[in-house]
Amino acid sequence: MRVLVVEDDPSLREQIASFLGEEGFVVEKAADGEQGLYMASEYPLDLAVLDLGLPKASGIEIIKRTRKAGKSYPILILTARDGWQSKVEGLEAGADDYLVKPFHREELLARARALLRRSGGWATATLESGPIVLDTTSKSVKVDGNAVELTSYEYRVLEYLLTHAGKVISKTELTEHLYSDDAERDSNVIEVFIRRLRAKLDPEATLNPIATLRGAGYRWDLPRA
Amino acid sequence: MKSLRARLLLAASVVLTGFVALCGLSLEQAFEDSALNAEEDELHGIVYALLGSADPTPDGQLTIRNAELPDARLVRPQSGLEAAVLDQNGDVVWSSPSAGDDLPDLKPAEVGAWHFHHSPDRFLLTYGVRWVDPPQRYTVMVIEDSKTFRDQVGVYRRTLWAWLVGISVALLIAQFLVLRWGLSPLRRLVAELRGIESGGQASVQSAYPDELTPLTGALNAMIVAERNQQTRYRNALGDLAHSLKTPLAVMRGLEGRLTNPDNQRALADQVARMQHIVDYQLRRAAAAGSRTLSEPVAVAPLAEKVVSALSKVYAARKLAFDLRVPASLKVRADEGDLYELVGNLLDNACKWAKSRIALSIEEAPRRLTLTVDDDGPGFPEDVESLATRGVRADSQVPGQGIGLSTIAELLKAYNGTMQLARSPLGGAQVRIDLPT
Repeated sequence: MRVLVVEDDPSLREQIASFLGEEGFVVEKAADGEQGLYMASEYPLDLAVLDLGLPKASGIEIIKRTRKAGKSYPILILTARDGWQSKVEGLEAGADDYLVKPFHREELLARARALLRRSGGWATATLESGPIVLDTTSKSVKVDGNAVELTSYEYRVLEYLLTHAGKVISKTELTEHLYSDDAERDSNVIEVFIRRLRAKLDPEATLNPIATLRGAGYRWDLPRA
Repeated sequence: MKSLRARLLLAASVVLTGFVALCGLSLEQAFEDSALNAEEDELHGIVYALLGSADPTPDGQLTIRNAELPDARLVRPQSGLEAAVLDQNGDVVWSSPSAGDDLPDLKPAEVGAWHFHHSPDRFLLTYGVRWVDPPQRYTVMVIEDSKTFRDQVGVYRRTLWAWLVGISVALLIAQFLVLRWGLSPLRRLVAELRGIESGGQASVQSAYPDELTPLTGALNAMIVAERNQQTRYRNALGDLAHSLKTPLAVMRGLEGRLTNPDNQRALADQVARMQHIVDYQLRRAAAAGSRTLSEPVAVAPLAEKVVSALSKVYAARKLAFDLRVPASLKVRADEGDLYELVGNLLDNACKWAKSRIALSIEEAPRRLTLTVDDDGPGFPEDVESLATRGVRADSQVPGQGIGLSTIAELLKAYNGTMQLARSPLGGAQVRIDLPT
């Protein structure tokens, strides 16, 4: 999942970025409103974490212009002005949730995950599809109640596909949302991950949870629970 | 003397009364003087006519024949006009038929001297003459009863005062009307200021006479300045919050990096303490309180915005909001404070509600009542004691109490009250009363 963090305070920005990075997100960082606005409207994102008080362009401005540009990914606002007026203003402009500074990292993570789930149409922290259960909180996967060991990248691919269950996801989209810019972008790697996932989740090849659509990409084919 | 109009009316009445009284007195005096002169002239005429008709008698005295008397009243007894001629000894040598026996005893007058004398009930004119044949000094005396004169003056006086009183009343009424008209812009201004105070309007709007324009201009400028001041203050607080809380957020983020659990706990405690102090003090400072010159805020759109924001935040819970706020309701309060009040009340209800939340705002004279209901578990115990204990606990230790400390702080600034009860929906009910 690719997350944009817009925060003008360098230490807080780095902290959030490294924390989210550790949790498996691909993180983009912007230090001011202008840069944030550019990234928010140009980058393939799954989530944006915005400070409201930014130099050059306010957080509200970014939200409004991003929404106007047709981007529908969830936006989480960070606000120090814990007044309701600014919260309401941000949410009205198109943000989806708010977090008041200072916050616990776990709180940020919980909100971020909840927003991502919601944007994929999931209501709970566990994504269930057929016999497969993915717990976003503990980052664990079970098939028919048996835990399945996944590597970090395998997990990310599965989480992305499952979150967008039923939607066709291209290889490019997967690489964009799962790799940071500097990482190697080889679409063959995705094919490898998909193959491994299929082997781990469905060793008997009876479920066929991931469909391959030639030239288009992949799709999670099991019904949502 | 509190009323400007009363002052002006009183002053006008005093001046008018003085003027009318002096005017009346001088007119009365002038009329009496001229009437008196006329009387004297008339008596003079009679004296001359008498002298003209006087004839010597054979016995060397003077007499006047009745037929030659100049005034018919001299013939008729008790007509009020009497005449007599006295000799140099003061004896009456002739008297008119109208004269009674009570002619006054007079010393003979000097030759050629006129004496006019008036007592309350009669006028007396005497004239001394030297007669050639018979060579004698005589005194001619005419007496006229002053009843007619008094009647005449009395009638005049009554007429005069009746008119003056009438004119005074008319002038006072005119004065009253003029004042009413002249002071009407002031009354209008007062009404507009009341409107501003009650939140009905934002500034002094209608046109005023030149003399009042500087005043209304200054008032409007003051209102704007006051509002700008509030906004600046609030922004400054916002900036302060931002600059304090971002470092706090960084410190909180560092907690997880510490390996020693003791250090971790120590840092967490200190950060929590600092955060609490910052929160508490900023919240206290941010409550603007009821400002006379605050711009009236439309409540319904504000509440709808908060509800739509909360629906987003609690989207997963699928809460149903029932909003009952009169569309036209405007409240004279700081907009930020209202957001705070409605936001915190509803947010608190959202945290506990199962599925339904109701907000109703009602306006009574000089009072605004906000009621928030939810269908959650309700307040756990005796709500009366909880009201104070819960709030106090929360304002000192974040995360405890019933989450209403911001509201409690705001209510202090607005002299409002809060009541906790069981809601008809089954959960908690918070009722806020605000004097407006």
